[in-house]
Amino acid sequence: MTTEGIKRLIMGAVLMGFSALAGAQAFRVQCPTTTSLHPVPWAAPASGSATGPPYIGPVTINDTRTGGTGLTYVSNGGTIRCQQVSGGDGFATMGDGTQIYMFAFGPLSGLSDVANGLPGTETPSVFNSMPLSPLGAGSPGLPIDPFNGAVGLAMESGATTLTGHIDPRPVMDVGVMNGNQPAPLMAIDEDDEFFLTLSNVGMIMRPDLFEQHTIHFHGYPNASAFYDGVPDASVAINIGGSMTYYYLAPDAGTYFWHCHITPPEHLQMGMVGQLYVRPRQNRVPAGSPLYASLQLQQNDPRTASKCSNDILCSTPLPLANNVTHVNNKNGNPTFYAYNDGDGSTAYDVEYPLQIHGFDPNFHFVGTTFNPEGFADMKDKFFLLNGRSYPDTIQPGTMQTPSSDGKMHDSQPLPSIINIPMGGRALLRISDLDVSEFQTLASLGLPMKVIAQNARLLRDEAGNNMYYSTNSVTLGGGESIDVILDATGISAKQTFYLYTPNLDHLSNDAENFGGLMTEVNVCNAVDPLTKFCS
Amino acid sequence: MNDMRQDRVLITCRFLSILMCGLFVEGSARAATPGIKGPTFTLTAKDSYISQPDGQAIYSWGYGCSGAQPTLVPTMLNATCPSMQIPGPTLIVNEGDVVTVTLTNNLPNAAGNTSILFPGFMVSTTGGVAGLLTQEAMPGGTVTYQFTATTPGTRAYYSGSQGDLQVEMGLYGAVIVVPTQTSTFSASCGNSVGVATTLNQTARQYWKEQDFRLATAAYDHPSSCYDREYLFQFSEIDPRIHKQVETGVGLSKCGPGACPALNVQTEPYHPTYFMVNGRSMPDDMDPNYALEYPHQPYNGNPHMHPGELVLLRVIGQGRWQHPFHEHGNHVRVLARDGNLMVSQTDPTKLAGPLLFTTTTTPGLAMDGIFYWTGKGLNWDVYGHNKADSPTSAANLPCTPDVNGYNTLGTAYQQINFYEWCADHHKPLEKAPFGDVEGGGPATLPDPNYLTNGTWFGGSAYLGPDATIRSTGPKGTTPPSGTVANSPSTEAGFAFMWHSHNEREITTNNVFPGGMMMMMLVDSREFQIDEAN
Repeated sequence: MTTEGIKRLIMGAVLMGFSALAGAQAFRVQCPTTTSLHPVPWAAPASGSATGPPYIGPVTINDTRTGGTGLTYVSNGGTIRCQQVSGGDGFATMGDGTQIYMFAFGPLSGLSDVANGLPGTETPSVFNSMPLSPLGAGSPGLPIDPFNGAVGLAMESGATTLTGHIDPRPVMDVGVMNGNQPAPLMAIDEDDEFFLTLSNVGMIMRPDLFEQHTIHFHGYPNASAFYDGVPDASVAINIGGSMTYYYLAPDAGTYFWHCHITPPEHLQMGMVGQLYVRPRQNRVPAGSPLYASLQLQQNDPRTASKCSNDILCSTPLPLANNVTHVNNKNGNPTFYAYNDGDGSTAYDVEYPLQIHGFDPNFHFVGTTFNPEGFADMKDKFFLLNGRSYPDTIQPGTMQTPSSDGKMHDSQPLPSIINIPMGGRALLRISDLDVSEFQTLASLGLPMKVIAQNARLLRDEAGNNMYYSTNSVTLGGGESIDVILDATGISAKQTFYLYTPNLDHLSNDAENFGGLMTEVNVCNAVDPLTKFCS
Repeated sequence: MNDMRQDRVLITCRFLSILMCGLFVEGSARAATPGIKGPTFTLTAKDSYISQPDGQAIYSWGYGCSGAQPTLVPTMLNATCPSMQIPGPTLIVNEGDVVTVTLTNNLPNAAGNTSILFPGFMVSTTGGVAGLLTQEAMPGGTVTYQFTATTPGTRAYYSGSQGDLQVEMGLYGAVIVVPTQTSTFSASCGNSVGVATTLNQTARQYWKEQDFRLATAAYDHPSSCYDREYLFQFSEIDPRIHKQVETGVGLSKCGPGACPALNVQTEPYHPTYFMVNGRSMPDDMDPNYALEYPHQPYNGNPHMHPGELVLLRVIGQGRWQHPFHEHGNHVRVLARDGNLMVSQTDPTKLAGPLLFTTTTTPGLAMDGIFYWTGKGLNWDVYGHNKADSPTSAANLPCTPDVNGYNTLGTAYQQINFYEWCADHHKPLEKAPFGDVEGGGPATLPDPNYLTNGTWFGGSAYLGPDATIRSTGPKGTTPPSGTVANSPSTEAGFAFMWHSHNEREITTNNVFPGGMMMMMLVDSREFQIDEAN
């Protein structure tokens, strides 16, 4: 071995020792304000759903920051976004009033946003902030203190800036028994860097368990095994520790996420969540042509979609057209589900809808120390966003009392579909049921299926393969994007989404409820609050 | 710890030790798409026992070979076609062949008649007796089916006699028709991940891997070229049905044609075994034709290198649908039941969807193409170090081809063949261990709070070189590294491919098991041997 080699090894050993010392810390978060790819912080507007800076095509940047890599990066915009979730347990309320025990994720960032049915995904300036007053148990981030920062963030002794150091006490105070069904919503834009921290607070109702948790970003293309969240193929975080997953946002689409520890158990018990990626087409300046912007995307091999060279090309160019970025019913530049290049996936308002099922017997056994039977699993509660009808149409968050007698947010997301008259709603439907396929049908308004498994339905020649239907069927691990079009429908009408699996229209023993919700056609709908007027 | 809970853990451990035995005894085990060569097949239907990872031997019926041994393709070491196997022998024929299948019914007399359906083909029959759907072979009798393999692709075959019972008992298999009109394009199989699959074949030869493909393309279409192929047949077992049959067959001592029908309840259906290619995890990752499974010769153990186009042939052979989730990337669906899906306006272009969950449906066969490259992660999966590493592999160049991959010139001789060059040298870690660069965006979790998986490669990076440089020859795990994906020799990226009806990744109520396998993406220097 060369002298340099030996030197290097010693260096490595020193580094290892140093890193181990520096890393010997329980909970912590990561949310840098700048990175090599995003060297300049983006000043996000106050609104939580704002997309990143305008898309102008790929730009080459050199990372010349102090301590930077000195390498060349191709930037397509985007920004840095961060989120923290707890892995633990909690209770939820079923349609018949049963309080059911869950293994569950809960919000540890964006508390206020999550309580308001929004993603808990935040920009660094929001994430790296501290609450005005100490957070209490299960703190739902009430409107009086709209706190969206990372729970537990604290100044390390001797430091002058926040370093991701976490004071474990608030994490436990807030994180214990704060499970949500579904898990906190996540939303990022294409080209974002996403720092997602999972803090394992333990399942306090099951002190016999020493379970790890992970996050599987379901459908992430070309994933690394390390951040894929499969404990067998990677690492899993133990109780009392945090792991920050790092992703460059993949191609736009409706993905979802879940724990991958003993999946038949942890998914049935409730560790399932929603995650979607918004297209860079949303960032095309108002009035600019969409096709030309999709052509710009061909200039970076990462964002290009050339089917002649790539059999997994996600969004091939459509037929040439002059469609521009128009305004939606709300008078703002409209949203798109995909980089369609022809405006065909435009929508006014979007609704994540996650299909799931709970087997109360399994959950009961899951509350005890007994082994569960997997083959006997039979769901009795059929859930849209963690609720059964009629809870699906109750606005606002749902709360469930915990062991301490206090109310905790348990199911923050209603499934009320409000569509502006003449407008279009995007339903981001995902299914994480672990035991059977489920069908969701639309009574009245036809469904237009534009994408499946987070990929636009378009052939390699650029023809849209969308189809109209009145029902979609999904198994666990699938997603479908559906557009409900209220063109020609006058306001103040109500339609239904329901399951034709008729035995799923029940809440356990109650012969009424289940997988069903309402679709209202309104004069106008606020795209953020979904308020119908 | 509670007793029951402990039992569960113990059972899990036992599972793992079975797996490890497999690994140590059998050596590296891969998959390919083994079968028997046509166009003339002499099959038998017979009973026997198949084994499950919980130790159960399950009475089953299956197709097998009778008479002279057929030619096994691709060539497998120490392999013979058994007289009963589940799934049945994969019948491999060429497009245009006139295929003849002679079936002898060697099932117990009480089983009654049996037959084979070949959906998707126009079948003519000789001999046998009339059945509901086709001509059947009486106990001890024979029947012959003949059809022309008009179009390429993957299809199912299965019993057409009392299907709810006979298919459940194991009478199913696959037919693969190999395309013959590929000569116009196969020399330059294009439309790949990057430049051309011929490059991957050059790399394969350089790294001394054998070619186990049945053909260069799945269809007579240049977009169906592939570098590796795997067949996955999904089915379930309700052991109560098998037990009833075993008892019924044992009770009725009757001559051919003189047996009362077996009185078996096939409903309500309550399967507890969920299998891929007749085996439950972890048995499915043991070699093809492994001695432990004399009647379950086919495995499910896919491996691939970055940038290789991998053909997945997926068939639903049971009663239920199973959402088969491929971790790692999407699959481009080529065809359903041997029908290639092309664009209505340009037949040179594909029209099948891109799916990350390819649902298997009873009787339905699907062909699709998968690949993995690590494109777009924003960090160098090989952990290259441009600074001052003493290791030459840490300083490998990456010259992007037109699609951004490292495939130009003699790149195929490098371990970073098909690296995504835009991320070359880009560090992942802020302050890494060892010989990879710092300055990246992320800090890895504190090892004191981690549990490492059995297939964890030992580091965040791909391949033994980067793993050893970043952590040491044992990976991060004290004291001895991972067991199924050695940090010092393989360190692949492991991805779980499984039914997303998660209760089906169990074996008789125990997790892990069932319809699950680990797919390994191995850096180029790891030799993938599909010999068996």
